[in-house]
Amino acid sequence: MDRDGPGANPLRDPRDRRLPRVPDPCTLVVFGVTGDLATKKLIPAVYDLAGRGLLPLGFALVGVGRREWSDRDFERFVRQVVGEHARTAFSEDAWSRLAPCLRFVNSSFDDDAGFDDLVKALDELRTIHGTQGNAAFYLAIPPSAYQVVLRQLHRSGLCHAGPGSSGLGDLGLHDFEVGGPGQGDSEMGSGGTDTARRRGWRRVVVEKPFGTDLASARELNDLVDDVFTKQDVFRIDHYLGKETVQNLLALRFANTLFEPVWNSHYVDSVQITVAEAGGIESRGEFYDATGAARDVLQNHLLQLLALCAMEEPVSFDAEALRLEKRKVLNAISLPADHEHYAIRGQYEQGWLAGRRVPGYRDEADVAEGSTTETYAAVRLAVETRRWAGVPFYLRTGKRLPRQVTEIAVVFKRAPHLPFAATDTVELGQNQLVVRVQPEEGVTLRFGSKVPGPAFEVREVSMDFLYGEAFTEASPEAYERLVLDVLLGDKTLFPDSDEVEASWRVIDPLEAFWADRPPFSYRAGEWGPLAAHSMVERDGRVWRRP
Amino acid sequence: MSTTLWDTTGSDITASLAAERHRAGGIGGGQALTLVIVVAEHEVAAAEQAATIAGQAHPSRLLLVVRRPADASDRLDAEVSVGGRLGPAEAVIMRMYGRLALHAESVVLPLLAPDAPVVAWWHGPPPDEIAADSLGTFAGRRITDCALAPDPLGALHQRAADYASGDTDLAWTRCTPWRALLAGALDPVSYRATAASVTGEAGNPSVALLAGWLSARLGVQATCMDGDGPGITTAEVAVETSSAAHRVVTICRPDGRSATLSVSGEMDRQLPLTRRRLGDLLTEELRRLEPDPVYAEALAAATATADLDARPSSRRHIWRDPMAGAGS
Repeated sequence: MDRDGPGANPLRDPRDRRLPRVPDPCTLVVFGVTGDLATKKLIPAVYDLAGRGLLPLGFALVGVGRREWSDRDFERFVRQVVGEHARTAFSEDAWSRLAPCLRFVNSSFDDDAGFDDLVKALDELRTIHGTQGNAAFYLAIPPSAYQVVLRQLHRSGLCHAGPGSSGLGDLGLHDFEVGGPGQGDSEMGSGGTDTARRRGWRRVVVEKPFGTDLASARELNDLVDDVFTKQDVFRIDHYLGKETVQNLLALRFANTLFEPVWNSHYVDSVQITVAEAGGIESRGEFYDATGAARDVLQNHLLQLLALCAMEEPVSFDAEALRLEKRKVLNAISLPADHEHYAIRGQYEQGWLAGRRVPGYRDEADVAEGSTTETYAAVRLAVETRRWAGVPFYLRTGKRLPRQVTEIAVVFKRAPHLPFAATDTVELGQNQLVVRVQPEEGVTLRFGSKVPGPAFEVREVSMDFLYGEAFTEASPEAYERLVLDVLLGDKTLFPDSDEVEASWRVIDPLEAFWADRPPFSYRAGEWGPLAAHSMVERDGRVWRRP
Repeated sequence: MSTTLWDTTGSDITASLAAERHRAGGIGGGQALTLVIVVAEHEVAAAEQAATIAGQAHPSRLLLVVRRPADASDRLDAEVSVGGRLGPAEAVIMRMYGRLALHAESVVLPLLAPDAPVVAWWHGPPPDEIAADSLGTFAGRRITDCALAPDPLGALHQRAADYASGDTDLAWTRCTPWRALLAGALDPVSYRATAASVTGEAGNPSVALLAGWLSARLGVQATCMDGDGPGITTAEVAVETSSAAHRVVTICRPDGRSATLSVSGEMDRQLPLTRRRLGDLLTEELRRLEPDPVYAEALAAATATADLDARPSSRRHIWRDPMAGAGS
């Protein structure tokens, strides 16, 4: 029987959909474990994974931070974090699975002794928890500290598998173990050879923004790819972990209904919106150096555009998908008229959700007279046959009226309407809206006859709401992404080429904006006037999400 | 929120359901499936509770059929509830008296959510022959529970004899956490199994199914041993690894709550392995609506029945009148 072949566990069967796909035994090491990202997203995600039984039996979570903490202190900290931020209600069962797996290592980002402790801790865990020397390093730290930590990982030999050593043979093993082409989504879990298993794997996870421009992104990419190997680097864009974003692929490629009209023959324009009601919270210093374009446009918005505009990948594996996304990103062109089609804004004080909020320049840690943008809107084009002449309007901003992310595909008007002109006054353009968050789902807008003797046509919506048709709560994006890192599945992670292609779109905009102050808008309105004029100039309007 | 109809008809139920939906603001438009529950009067509360839990995860239309004694005069009583005590689901609880109970499909068929999958669940002793219950013939997935039969192991053999692709049993669902743990404990090494055994309450069908699964997958005959329970108490697999080492993996759960995992050469580990609520079992069953070939393998091995996977997936209704012969 072929299922008894070497390396396969006969108790696993791809047809057995009840048994979850569980990663190899491993350790997840989180740098910056007391930071915002770790406490609000990462640790809760790990807890929820434990609760869903998706972590391997041999698992350990190692927190690295600058605290005089014992493992017990760390356990108390995690317990509190889980209580506050986990998606699922606290359950003793899930907690009793996670609690014995927690370790803490006291170290700053550049502390030889601390990293040596970490080496020891990982070696111990190999025997105590049977983690087999597999480890993923999550850099939940400011990008400015990446370099230091990566160098330490290199110095201490942590970036290489095998017990505390850095051997030449490791690179070959990595190639073997992780995400080679053809390793499909469903068959990854038990992958790898015996040799690779004995030596273990090493992976590193970095968060956006990846650099601040093309040059710095390249430098960072070279550094991580150097310290680890290219295949072992996971770049998180958490939007790709969202169910609805993945559903965009199902919508387009699993149905016959949409793909035939998904092109410039039928599509008038595409609007992609990532709106946030919040301000910059405690991220003032970081945000002031970054701005909306680098923070959101460069990654989330361009990734959404890529998924919306790409051709059908030949398969749903990591390489095929990234190839198609890369083609789109490389085909993006900027408008010649930057003045009118690349707008940035900055919020002033205003009223939002019934309370007064300060202007951007009055936020904590923002430089006086800052010209950093908190809003960016731009018209892009995708230079392919499919999308020739179709504008892609992208916008993102902070302190907008509501928190919403959506992709709206606006269709052309019917070429001929056989009704009296007065009958179709209220008929707009057909729209297909993918609501990424909140109220995850899809809306189709089309004209319908109003009941009554007159033949009057009005816009109506047909709604598909995730919560109604499937499980009440979709897993958090981070749950999915952390699990994928541990499984070694790179399908939902942008690679360095995509990151660099995205910077090639952003860099000219940043250069253009450099000596122009942003337009201002009041907190609580849909961006500056110039952004509205931008679409109105083309005879269109922004959809109100 | 809910309407009670006495001595009513199927058409009135349909109208009342539409009215309730309208009153609730047209919510519940996206029904993913219709769940038909066949249950005896004294188990209605338990079935409702389980369905409410499952309904949290799987928005469904719930049709609860209570068949009353066939010797009463024909009558239909119903309660229609949308977004009420049964959670967000649209629910119709029907009590059928007299000969109507034999023709339950005449009321249920028009109430099925359009073109959505239909799941039938017998919360009670499984029918000997699913084809004889018309409610089982239009369901794509049929859930029984051998543990509720007077003779659970006999019922399990009957399930194998009557098996059609798309059948499943909650005794199998109860094995899932054990199976996940066993598979997880054996993931790290490549191995060849040399022996396997399962211990549990005498006559517990889950013990037989877990042993059947191990036999089918490992290629060794897993033995069943009687113990005190509750449920499954111990599962053990002995293997020879690719480096010719011998290893024994033992999972022991004497109290129905927490398990000890022992692997030779490693420290013992305590893991939660709680016996799950009926609602959680049902939630797992509704997660996937396609046939479960792994269950078929386990059932075949547990009952020494061949060719289960060759059975057709649909059944034709066989008319049997339980009153025939009784009256004359």
